Amino acid sequence: MSESIQTALRTRARELLELGEVSCVVGYERSPRGRVRPAFVYDPADADRLVWDDTCHHNLMVYLHDRKNPPRRGEEIPRVAVVAKPCDVRALNVLLHEGQIAREKVFVIGVACAGMCEESTEELQARCRRCQERVPIFYDTLVGEPPRVAPVDEDWADLAELERLSAAERLAFWAREFDRCIRCYACRQACPGCYCFECMAEQVDPLWVGIAVELPEKAFFHVMRAYHLAGRCVQCNACELACPMHIPLSLLNRKLVKEVEALFGYRAGGDPATPPPLATFRKDEELPL
Amino acid sequence: MKLTRREQLAAWLDALMERATVIAPRQVESELLYRPVAASDEVVFDFQRTAMSPKGYFLPSTEVLLEIEKRGAEVTLDEALPQEEQVLFAIRPCDARGLRVLDALLVEHEPADVYYAGRRHQTTLVGLACPRLWPECFCTSIGGAPDDSSDVDVMLYEVDGGYLVSEVTAKGAALLAGLQAEETDQPAPVSDRDGPSVLVLEAEAWPALFNELYWARFTERCLSCHACTYVCPTCRCFDVRDYTTAAGPNGIRIERLRSWDSCMAAAYRRIAGGHNPRSSKMHRLRNRYYCKFNYCPQDFGAVACVGCGRCIAVCPVGVDIVEMLGDVAALAAARVGEGGADE
Amino acid sequence: MSERNNPLRPYLGTLVGIQNTAQDIKLFQIELNDGQPFDYRPGQFAFVSAFGIGEAPFGLASTAERSPALEFAINRIGTVTDALHSLEPGSTVGVRGPLGNGFPLQDIKGQNVVVLGGGIGGAPLRPVIHTILDHRDDYGRLTILWAARTPSLLIFTDEYDQWAAAPDTELHMTVDEGDGRWTGHVGLITQLLEQVAPSPENAVAIICGPPIMIKFTLLTLEKLKFQPGQMLMTLEAKMKCGIGKCGRCNMGGKFVCVDGPVFWYTEVAGFLESFV
Repeated sequence: MSESIQTALRTRARELLELGEVSCVVGYERSPRGRVRPAFVYDPADADRLVWDDTCHHNLMVYLHDRKNPPRRGEEIPRVAVVAKPCDVRALNVLLHEGQIAREKVFVIGVACAGMCEESTEELQARCRRCQERVPIFYDTLVGEPPRVAPVDEDWADLAELERLSAAERLAFWAREFDRCIRCYACRQACPGCYCFECMAEQVDPLWVGIAVELPEKAFFHVMRAYHLAGRCVQCNACELACPMHIPLSLLNRKLVKEVEALFGYRAGGDPATPPPLATFRKDEELPL
Repeated sequence: MKLTRREQLAAWLDALMERATVIAPRQVESELLYRPVAASDEVVFDFQRTAMSPKGYFLPSTEVLLEIEKRGAEVTLDEALPQEEQVLFAIRPCDARGLRVLDALLVEHEPADVYYAGRRHQTTLVGLACPRLWPECFCTSIGGAPDDSSDVDVMLYEVDGGYLVSEVTAKGAALLAGLQAEETDQPAPVSDRDGPSVLVLEAEAWPALFNELYWARFTERCLSCHACTYVCPTCRCFDVRDYTTAAGPNGIRIERLRSWDSCMAAAYRRIAGGHNPRSSKMHRLRNRYYCKFNYCPQDFGAVACVGCGRCIAVCPVGVDIVEMLGDVAALAAARVGEGGADE
Repeated sequence: MSERNNPLRPYLGTLVGIQNTAQDIKLFQIELNDGQPFDYRPGQFAFVSAFGIGEAPFGLASTAERSPALEFAINRIGTVTDALHSLEPGSTVGVRGPLGNGFPLQDIKGQNVVVLGGGIGGAPLRPVIHTILDHRDDYGRLTILWAARTPSLLIFTDEYDQWAAAPDTELHMTVDEGDGRWTGHVGLITQLLEQVAPSPENAVAIICGPPIMIKFTLLTLEKLKFQPGQMLMTLEAKMKCGIGKCGRCNMGGKFVCVDGPVFWYTEVAGFLESFV
């Protein structure tokens, strides 16, 4: 299956570039060490660099933020094609919703996805086992057959253990996890939803967080990042996969996904018509507080 | 040389812990990190490479430079100079060499950084030779070796039955007093140097390649996070800022903090007013490599890379310094091939 | 350990005077509290601390000859400068310096000097002008081109008469945009420079201002037949230590804090990175 998706991706990429429909195809390639990583193909002759397998976990929508300005003043912003899994397309939906990206500048090469694997164990990632969407909700072209996978029900089991703990125990859990955080911001940089010109964690005026790499600052950064993604996180897991210290960041973001769903019946990146609840004011709104 | 068993080493470490902070590889949840240990049973003896280099025990990720008290116009300053004795146990030759590079960058040119220099002075390094190169390692390409004892005070070599102990410096010899060991004429094992090697282009040849289109292509996948700079044994860029820690009717207490910063950050060179000479990630990543392989060798006499491979292991998007070095060597060779050395 | 040995530890100083010198720009006079030696030359800089916020680098705008206090012209633009602007005389500040390399004023004796200052960039040029005026016979013709975006941003206005009245000295001024009362030249400093057209014969040009202004001034001087070895500039970059340790202010292989901030154009032309 991967073979044919890979072949189809290469063919589509070559066509798009030859026809001049896009200036670049953002996809995946294999590094000289054999690991999958993001790739930028400009020349149709290079289309065979593109690969597809179950380690193509990066959310490539993050690279759209580099392309919001034309290469030279007065020029048009070039159109790019992006190889996109269903979760990646949800992220694009959020960016379109928030007016960050112009729809016509992105050609979505949707991929029907059977799920990504943990690199160490070669088992399906937990988030992929739960995934309800094997085909992206929109695309300009689709590659791959919808896989016959029965998703595991979303039961928030990963959060259950934390939710059972007392507040003090939960604090102790996160203190242990954040202890090894080095404030490298890989989580933030890998996330398509984090695109502030100046992150609140680095602002000096007003000063929200200091420069210290200590628990209070680290906790503040992670909790506030999760809050700033509430109602916006699409659970692509790019943050957790990017973390060099393997901190289980998905637990923070998923907790808020769960809360937003319970409060507003809303999940990010889905139906493009529903305005995002945390960015929408309704006079008739009543929240049980 | 001496031969000692692991239990004897452990007992010696336990005794050291009574008079110094012993820093050793310790399992911290999912990661192996150099951390202070309270007992020798916390020490991980069998490992390849820790996730972070131990540079944080010399140039901490957060450090108080000054303690300031302000009472109206009256201000008193106190330097928070490092006080404690440290023993860094099981440091790898590459990481020890990283400290030698940091010495060149921070101490050997006047004025010296007194905080880093103080910690270096107060720390004894007990090295542990690597039997071979680990994945992503390339120390041999950069003039290092998995069993290089040049930069440690004591070197340990894993052998059948325990460890060979080599006294490298007088400081190391002094530390070894109290270690149970027997004399042996067993020679130190020579580590296996097999592994991928890459040509590191000499510093003088880099300027000619500065404007190659290659850099824009190579850096495009970079996310501008700080992971590579923070795990690196030789990166040392820092930020300094004051923070009020207590305020009352009798005055204000302030700490001047120093923390790690990264040249990869978009705002690294942005000044108040907004001007940013390195606003593109191409400029930033190119600067990082030039700093390591051209500027530091020319300004400080040291290549600022020791081949530990951590940046390769940690990069979320596969930016690979060895790949870059190979590409740069090829670019330089192509230029020479064209006969067009205009530099 | 004494302050002398820890280069990251500031001297304590008292703010003895503050004057408004232009819009959002104040001239600060600082005297060191404990009489520490502070031998400085024009072109050098120091870090001034607003304790509780932090410190930032500023060019020294005075000469020891004329002023017992250290003078800095500081533009209010960020958190440190904002904190400094809110201080009253009598406040205690920190000073770390003198840092950097200074202008080679000994080497250019006997030459005609063209000084080009744009906005707050005029601050480190003021001690150059003072040195030349106070040692008038050691230097040739002095031509000062002084510019700002608007008249309210011109600095050291109270000195212009003194400068213009000095022997063998010309002062020319320009603003990008006049106000209702400005009767002088309106236009960029490069346009003024082309008009004034100082001779490159036995001359040296010293430039300070925003990077883009320095860049185009250099080009205009080249049009006027100045050689790269006749052009000096003082550059700025974001700095944290000022002593070549924090790694931040490099332009290619040169650190602005220790190899500069004063550079000949011949050096800058060889930088791998552009200063703009």
